[in-house]
Amino acid sequence: MSAQDLAFYYLGFAMILSALFTVLSRNPVHAVLSLLVLVVHQAFMLYLLGSEFLSAIQIIVYAGAVVVLFLFVVYLINLQKETRFRVFVRLFSLGLIFFILFAFLFVKYFVLIFSMNIGLSPLLPIDPTSSQALKMMARYLYTEYLFQFELIGVILLVVVFGTVFLLRKVKEERVG
Amino acid sequence: MVDLNSYIYLSLILFFIGLFGFVFRRNIIILLACVEIMLNALIILFASISYFRQDATGYILVFFIIAIAAAEAAVGLTLAVALYRKLKKVYTEEINLFRG
Repeated sequence: MSAQDLAFYYLGFAMILSALFTVLSRNPVHAVLSLLVLVVHQAFMLYLLGSEFLSAIQIIVYAGAVVVLFLFVVYLINLQKETRFRVFVRLFSLGLIFFILFAFLFVKYFVLIFSMNIGLSPLLPIDPTSSQALKMMARYLYTEYLFQFELIGVILLVVVFGTVFLLRKVKEERVG
Repeated sequence: MVDLNSYIYLSLILFFIGLFGFVFRRNIIILLACVEIMLNALIILFASISYFRQDATGYILVFFIIAIAAAEAAVGLTLAVALYRKLKKVYTEEINLFRG
């Protein structure tokens, strides 16, 4: 077993565990903090998958912005604990069984489809182990995916406007 | 031996943990956190396929997914805060405006 395999098993185990903590924890603060653990481990996994750039982006954007935003909102609005795991439909256990069955079948056939080798040549060829990988990726980003790249900027601008608009309107209604 | 299948299994397990939380939890903030878990699972999927097929498309999609995830978290949390200001509620089963 090589060091890379060992790293994969450790990271995968930690990610699944922290995802379960996020989902099952009753205290929202604990849930968001385990989401942070998940995100940091995933950044290391992206490093393992040959992209230091995406690893850094993951740390900056997810751990630095998104999770901190979650924490702010948790502290802002949610002061009480969820007292129990609420069962909101009568046939909860039946639903759980069907969910697990669906998940199992989905995983089985999804892996089957993706592990098939249909002999397609790479769309945008790149060697992730070479030192030129980031350069190549940047070139594709600014040629093949230029329109989508600009669209991301427009979407982020709209998000800023929408956020300000939504929160401002509620405040005005409260005053008036 | 770790190959593409291991990464796909990990990604799908994470995705279904996130989906489970999205379906069975009631707190709006936890719901948004579950969406983030699902997006993280997709990031692993795209990056691993990109790595094993020597193809830059997956990396570029991961870049876009991270940008969209940040936008989505901002909008979702804004809506949660607006909803809380309006109704003082965070659990989805208590929010029943349409049922009256």
